[in-house]
Amino acid sequence: MIRVEHIPVDGDDQRSVAVVTIDRQEKRNALTPDVLENIVGVAKLVHAGQGKAHAIVLAGAGPTFCSGFDLSLCKDDPLVMPDLLTKLAAAVRALRNCTVPVVAAAQRGAIAGGCALLAGCDFVITDANAKLGYPVVRLGVSPAISSTTLRLAIGDGHTRERLLDPGLISGAEATRIGLASECVETPEQVLPRAVELATTLARKPHHALVATKRWLNEIDGSNDSQLHNAALQASLAIAGGEEERQRLQAIWK
Amino acid sequence: MTNATNDLCLLDRTEAVAKLTLNRPGARNALSIDLLDALSNRLDELAQTDNVNAVILAGAGRAFCAGMDLKAVLDEPGAPAQLLTKIANVTLKLRALPMPTIARVNRAAIGGGCGLMCVCDFAVTHDDAKIGYPEVDLGVCPAVVAPWLVRKVGAGVARRVLLAGGTMSGTRAHELGLVTSLAPSDSLDEEVRNLAERIASGGPVALRATKEWLNKLDGSTLAEQVNRGALISTEVVTSDEARACLSKAFSR
Repeated sequence: MIRVEHIPVDGDDQRSVAVVTIDRQEKRNALTPDVLENIVGVAKLVHAGQGKAHAIVLAGAGPTFCSGFDLSLCKDDPLVMPDLLTKLAAAVRALRNCTVPVVAAAQRGAIAGGCALLAGCDFVITDANAKLGYPVVRLGVSPAISSTTLRLAIGDGHTRERLLDPGLISGAEATRIGLASECVETPEQVLPRAVELATTLARKPHHALVATKRWLNEIDGSNDSQLHNAALQASLAIAGGEEERQRLQAIWK
Repeated sequence: MTNATNDLCLLDRTEAVAKLTLNRPGARNALSIDLLDALSNRLDELAQTDNVNAVILAGAGRAFCAGMDLKAVLDEPGAPAQLLTKIANVTLKLRALPMPTIARVNRAAIGGGCGLMCVCDFAVTHDDAKIGYPEVDLGVCPAVVAPWLVRKVGAGVARRVLLAGGTMSGTRAHELGLVTSLAPSDSLDEEVRNLAERIASGGPVALRATKEWLNKLDGSTLAEQVNRGALISTEVVTSDEARACLSKAFSR
């Protein structure tokens, strides 16, 4: 479900870019609790300095980065949605807390939980016609969980717009508002560009880069556990409720 | 509320989308004490209404809103304070509405009108609209609207916009984040209606929970700063400097 490939930087065995790939192509890389736990695990390994990764690329196998939660898991069990939300929050925080810079390669689509992952990354590469957004209010789910990291990237005004509007925006618009840091022309160019950027970052003096990311996390509110938990609780408060149940059932019908 | 006052702010509803219309077209919907009372009452009504999932705020006639009707209150003791206290309360009520709000901005959103626009969760206008906060040019301090603009576009942009005064085009307002999207002026209604219907397709419980959380997150529930803004604005607008600047502007 998660593949990790190390690409040595300039032939140095001790300095690599770790490409962490969500690989559930048959489900457009839909997120399961296991996938999210694995993302946390990889990010924590790098954070603990185990391994040689000096930068991470978070990628999705196949044509689309990530279509969001695997909703089929929620069909018969009302406890899955709260579990997914809780693990998504943990994954986003693990990406943000990871010592080294994280670059997301978000080709073609980053929807709902997939889009939430982007806000935990330091850089996001997407393509001009990609579709990004949080259409989850249509499912009776609150995207409040994404608010605390999203506002750091795009500010409160755009956060309000993106989380209350279930519509999707293009990669070009996402770049304009700061949800993505860079937009390339085609989906095929996304991963190569993300690896190129991560390689550039991995070449930089390691301690300086780590110290700078740590300091930015400290000053911009990334470490505010209380706030992140409150956001998660706002989503959990209605998770598994009647509106969500009815709207999910309508999809399966 | 008398019928005459009631008519200053109209409330219509089509399925899950409600529309509030500022209705003083002869004065380009300038915000008078009576209009703010009418808007305030409509907001109370909407806050208690179930089955509304999105609210559009519009202005009747040629322009969304020309700003505060200072001309009407300047020579009446106590009236400026009353007007500014009322706009402060209206901004708090508008933001506290449980459902998402969209400003439909045709032609102009100036001063207090631009303030109402930025309190809404979304704003749609056209490229050559006239938008902004010219308060400082008139010797007036935009203290009530400042906290909302900071929340909308961040402290850095808000500082530059409010201190520079003047107005900007719809295009520039979109670039700076004051406005969500632009539409050709002849399809503004269609764009706003599409956005409202898309939002209204969300689950009411999920939309209300999300908006309530966002209001907590960005400090929108804190009334103290906005109310203090009303006091500061009152102090400045009743100064000799403001009187001189406004008299000159009104005599043009």
